[in-house]
Amino acid sequence: MFRTTSGTRRAALFLFVLLLSVVFLLPQQSRGLLQNIGQPIAQLASFPLEAFSALDHSLRDFWDGYVALHREAEENRRLRREVQQLRGQNVELQEMVAASQRLAGLLELKKKFAPRTVAAQVVGRDATNWYRSVVLDKGERDGIRVEMGVMTPDGVVGRVVNTTPFSSVVLLIIDPNNAVTGLIQRTREEGIVEGTAQGRARLKYIPLLSTVRIGDVVVTSGLTGGFPRGLAVGTITRIDKAEGDLFQSAEIAPEVDFLKYEEVLVITDPRPSGESHEEPALPTDFSKGPKP
Amino acid sequence: MKPALYAGLLLGLVPVQAALLQHIEFVGIRPDLCLVAACLAGFLAGELEGLLIGLALGLVQGLFSAGDLWLNVITKGGAGLLAGLAGRHVTNPTTVSMLAVLAGLSVLSGIIVLVAIRSGAGLVAFLAAVRSVLVPEVVLNAAVGTGLYWLIARRVRRQEAIPRGPAGLIG
Repeated sequence: MFRTTSGTRRAALFLFVLLLSVVFLLPQQSRGLLQNIGQPIAQLASFPLEAFSALDHSLRDFWDGYVALHREAEENRRLRREVQQLRGQNVELQEMVAASQRLAGLLELKKKFAPRTVAAQVVGRDATNWYRSVVLDKGERDGIRVEMGVMTPDGVVGRVVNTTPFSSVVLLIIDPNNAVTGLIQRTREEGIVEGTAQGRARLKYIPLLSTVRIGDVVVTSGLTGGFPRGLAVGTITRIDKAEGDLFQSAEIAPEVDFLKYEEVLVITDPRPSGESHEEPALPTDFSKGPKP
Repeated sequence: MKPALYAGLLLGLVPVQAALLQHIEFVGIRPDLCLVAACLAGFLAGELEGLLIGLALGLVQGLFSAGDLWLNVITKGGAGLLAGLAGRHVTNPTTVSMLAVLAGLSVLSGIIVLVAIRSGAGLVAFLAAVRSVLVPEVVLNAAVGTGLYWLIARRVRRQEAIPRGPAGLIG
């Protein structure tokens, strides 16, 4: 396409140096510019992505459904779905019991577990090897924005970090670059849930005097945006308490099987459905009279 | 022919990488097809084409990744450019020289990414990422890229129409 002369070499080097300078001198602007340039290409690329994903799913379904004993696979899938739902319900119920013990009589707390969500399908994994993330088939056009939480009936999946009109990228909670505020369900102590290099999660900053123990369930605290309170994160499998440390930390086995899920829910509004868009009632005096 | 090939790469390579390559991953790692394509384009067609293809592929890859957009653009563009410069200085290109170029550029690109995203995590985490991600990825990139280069070179030789380019294969 181009003649390879010393002129093109100089042009290539100049272009690269120019790009490097722009990226390092104007990081915000260059990111915005790159995003704007890439959006139309990403829109076009999302169609083959969905096509490849559909091909992948249909081939896998064919294999599971017909080659590997059709009926057993179907039954297995149904039971697995049921187990997933029951697990999610179990954690939800435990959380509701703990809440009702503290706040006896407030049975309407149940509504807290009904955030507004958008269902999306996983169509791919991260395009590089450096992050544990997945690509969803829904994007800005479906109301998905950066920082929104993502869940399955089992529990927390991750949060949205990148969006295009037709797709979005979700950074999983097992990625070391992710952090979500968590709560030990039994002791009500808070900490930060971070991913580890081994593909698990870790609850950090647990108070030294905490009575946390192996088997305790960790849920979201609802303090950071994106997640409502009480979504299952995982179960504590190991507690680390080093001498001289101000806090202890615990390894968590996530509730979600990150290799198997295919559909997720993106939490577009983490507030309880009853509270979401209610206008605060005006005091009688102000509502009747003219605006000051 | 070439513009169609590049358009196909631009729109098809990242979807293949994201949706299909998970079935052929090795110890949880997939080859970075965008890096391989940028290196091949640079090595075979010159530094400017390598740079432009690398920048474009890096941009699309960045949009389907959780990482910073500029990191993919810079590393892929830089890899294409350096592969082009390397190809220009290789008098007798062989699969071994391609293997060396791919391995070297994969290491360089991986170290840049690691420094950018894991520099604050400490030496232990850095070395763990080198062992668990960088090394397998370099091996896979080198193997896939060299295989593709061998196929392209064999096809070109079979046609006995080898226009002189920077690496003696494609002009």
